[in-house]
Amino acid sequence: MEKILQKKAFPKWVEKLDAYEIYAPVKKDNYWSYEIINTSGDIGLDFPNTVQAPKKIINPQREVFLEFGRSEENSLEVTEVLPEEKSGVIFGVRPCDAKALLLTDLVFSGDIKDGYYGKRRKQTAIVGLSCNTPPSPNCFCTSVDGSPHSQDGFDILLTDLGDRYFVKSLTKKGDELINLGKSIFTAPKDSDKKELTKIHTESEKKLKRQVKDAKKIPPKLKEMFESPFWDEESMSCLRCGICTYLCPTCHCFDISDEVTSVAPFKGYRIRTWDNCQFPDFTMHSSGHNPRPDKASRLRQRIMHKYQYFVERYQNYQCTGCGRCVSKCPVGIDIIEVLNKVRDYG
Amino acid sequence: MVKLEDLKKEAKRILKSGKVKYIIGYAKGADGLMPIPAFIKDPDGADDLTWNPACVHNLTKFIVDEKKRLKQDKNPDNRPIGIIVKGCDSRAINVLLQEKYIDREDVYLLGVSCEKTGVVDEKKLAKKLKGQRAVQIDVEDNGNFIVTTESGSEKIPAEDVLAERCIECKANFPVIFDIVFGEKIKRRVDNPFQSVEKIEALPQEDRWKFWMEQLDKCIRCYACRSVCPMCYCDECVVDTISFVVEPDTTAEEKAQKIKWIEKSPNLSENIVYHLTRAMHLAGRCIDCGECERVCPLDIPIRFLNKKMEKDAKNLFDYEVGFDPDQPSLVSSFKDEDPEDFIR
Amino acid sequence: MDNANVYLPKLAKIIQIKEEVGGARPIKTFRAQFLNENQFVHHCGQCAMVSVFGKGESMFAISSSPLVKDFLQFSIMKMGRVTSELHTMKEGDIVGIRGPLGNSFPIEDWKGKKLIFIGGGIGLAPIWSVLQTALGQKKDYGDLMLIYGARTSKDIVFKDELDELRKEMTVHLSVDVEEEGWKEFVGFVPQNVTDKKPSPKNAIAITCGPPIMIKFVIQALGDLGFKDDQIYTTVENKMKCGIGICGRCNIGMHYVCKDGPVYSWAELKELPQEY
Repeated sequence: MEKILQKKAFPKWVEKLDAYEIYAPVKKDNYWSYEIINTSGDIGLDFPNTVQAPKKIINPQREVFLEFGRSEENSLEVTEVLPEEKSGVIFGVRPCDAKALLLTDLVFSGDIKDGYYGKRRKQTAIVGLSCNTPPSPNCFCTSVDGSPHSQDGFDILLTDLGDRYFVKSLTKKGDELINLGKSIFTAPKDSDKKELTKIHTESEKKLKRQVKDAKKIPPKLKEMFESPFWDEESMSCLRCGICTYLCPTCHCFDISDEVTSVAPFKGYRIRTWDNCQFPDFTMHSSGHNPRPDKASRLRQRIMHKYQYFVERYQNYQCTGCGRCVSKCPVGIDIIEVLNKVRDYG
Repeated sequence: MVKLEDLKKEAKRILKSGKVKYIIGYAKGADGLMPIPAFIKDPDGADDLTWNPACVHNLTKFIVDEKKRLKQDKNPDNRPIGIIVKGCDSRAINVLLQEKYIDREDVYLLGVSCEKTGVVDEKKLAKKLKGQRAVQIDVEDNGNFIVTTESGSEKIPAEDVLAERCIECKANFPVIFDIVFGEKIKRRVDNPFQSVEKIEALPQEDRWKFWMEQLDKCIRCYACRSVCPMCYCDECVVDTISFVVEPDTTAEEKAQKIKWIEKSPNLSENIVYHLTRAMHLAGRCIDCGECERVCPLDIPIRFLNKKMEKDAKNLFDYEVGFDPDQPSLVSSFKDEDPEDFIR
Repeated sequence: MDNANVYLPKLAKIIQIKEEVGGARPIKTFRAQFLNENQFVHHCGQCAMVSVFGKGESMFAISSSPLVKDFLQFSIMKMGRVTSELHTMKEGDIVGIRGPLGNSFPIEDWKGKKLIFIGGGIGLAPIWSVLQTALGQKKDYGDLMLIYGARTSKDIVFKDELDELRKEMTVHLSVDVEEEGWKEFVGFVPQNVTDKKPSPKNAIAITCGPPIMIKFVIQALGDLGFKDDQIYTTVENKMKCGIGICGRCNIGMHYVCKDGPVYSWAELKELPQEY
């Protein structure tokens, strides 16, 4: 269904959603972040993009899998700890981040289902904001089969028409959310629809950077596995974790046991985000490391996103949000790297 | 004025002579204002070098990287590495020399003076430009910055957008170099610890709340550690998995390795990480400010290290990075030291 | 299986521990029996994640044959945190088991063929399940041969079982260097392969051991006329989730824990050489 929501009335809609946990972009110091808001008046969608992608809500950085311990009779007990039953709504998700959730679904809810991710995903609605202008100078979503007004992955998509939002519901979950705020919404006029089309068409032209002919990249990468290209590109890499931790599609994780008490014995098995750029990501217990140097790790990152994932799932594992470009401490620019790969040799 | 042409000429000269393996300097990035670290291997490549107030990076980290890489190399090229250093960066070289991590012959230092100004703080600049995007920044003789955006150029007084550490800077001219560009101009710094003192002045409860809020944000991306030239330990004490494994490391050693902090990025582990790191950098941090610049969540990490620097100066009269022959702060004592347990 | 929690291990009791090899890198063979579950069905070559609660999980090949229903067998070398703790455990202690994980040897396709098992050191354990299954269904397969070696005679695993094995199939053993009392071949396993000259006619070679041994065994087999799709091996990599989503164990597009660990040489040489 399609509706119009006056910006002034936005908090009223949020008030009706009191059964849900509401996440919205909040300004912290110099940057924006998705946080839980408790007062409907705090809702506002006038923001570029957040530093951390909304993946941190669906796939949190620390997730408890199970609890283990010794009972009073000294027998070992192991119990699973599932995510809390709590419906949530994330407001203001940009199309690149929503598409990223669909890509992560391919991994976590494919032929083997990760119950923890699945539960959070099911109980969280995604209300998006299309990008009238690119939130970042480094956005390149159109180069990787995306668009600033793409509907992929949303339950509801809002488009800013100035003093009001054009509201488009795309799923049953979206319909339910709109029905909760029934009278707050009005029907769209023809002029609204015209404005919407105009904004959407123009938004695609506003992206400043692009990777032309991205289709040529996966086959090119396959040939470049042994190339010295990676040594040159990775020379300034600092092996920090910024590009992967901020990336909306990156999902690698570690499983470890945290013992909280020795007597009585008690602890948790937890999942934490991990990072293929850390030197010990692939190190065997024997000390052998298939990716001992920065070149092989940068190669892994680019090839995973632009060749392995494409081969497996027919999609780039990158939605062009530009966070890795903006935040890399030494300015390693994935757009530049991809353009060089395409023209290599 | 630092003349870029002179810098390029010298770079070409030493590359042509084969005296250095390569030169680490700054080159123009693919897009936007910030330059990127560049590794110039041949004389023609020196034309890519650039120098402007956006050259914030501390390039000495790459000297540390190269030192580690050389250990694995079967046929190491032991020629020195040319590196462009600002005043603060040159202090980092001094600390590396003091700790004998590198030898003086390992580096050829092309010092560059910051003269009347310093480097720009990208966030302050963005606020000043109110949403407009800077694409170039130059410095005038009188100490103003000329910032070019997509809609034109404007003059901005340097103090408005200088990095905090430049306002408190003790070394705007390189303290060690093989050749230097630019003049030595004394800058008056009233209080090198003014930013730290602002936080120290807060009542204890507010200070605690401030730090707990800030450290709770941390996602342990370890960028602060990765960018710091002084964090060169192969085995970091606060890292739970990185440790050196040789073919003869026994299973017992691996099994009994102490986990000082867990992998979880929650407040208690983050506190241990940041405070331990600050303690390990006491008497070694030269306030290049990189840790704070690279943090994606704007955690004011620099204050922790600056506080250590203030204590080192006030309690032990210790200055970091000016003398490559001085003993380290934590492994030396003087008779006048305040603690008496050592006597 | 859809509702089962893929990260929750099932509890199993250790019912037997046998010391195979002592020294600095001891190897013990563990037999574990599920406390509750009796529907665990695995195929030859598959692995399982064994949990030591409080220390972590590690992936091991199940070395018992699927024909054995009472227990699962793992041969484990003491390497680090999890395995050191396993080596201190006693019969009756509880571990967790998640599995079966990974792909398996296509033994259905090998019916009627000769099977040549080539192992080095602890590498015998992953292929032991196939060997035992083939022995248990002897009439379905051609002649069986085992070429196995270790650094010294003290490093040979499954010593008792090997003596029994000689009664039912050809067994060629070797040690790397001369040793007092050793009457069989002296040299590396690939050299023993060249020495014993198994024929590639209607044969499948299954090999596992240290990576460098596998490399030279494949070369030796190639010299004897084995085609790439007649040679099978298992690959190892650092693993955490075991189900192909934590992103750690990949070689190219493949996840070793899910698309592997069993590969034919024809498949393996197409993958990027990053393991």
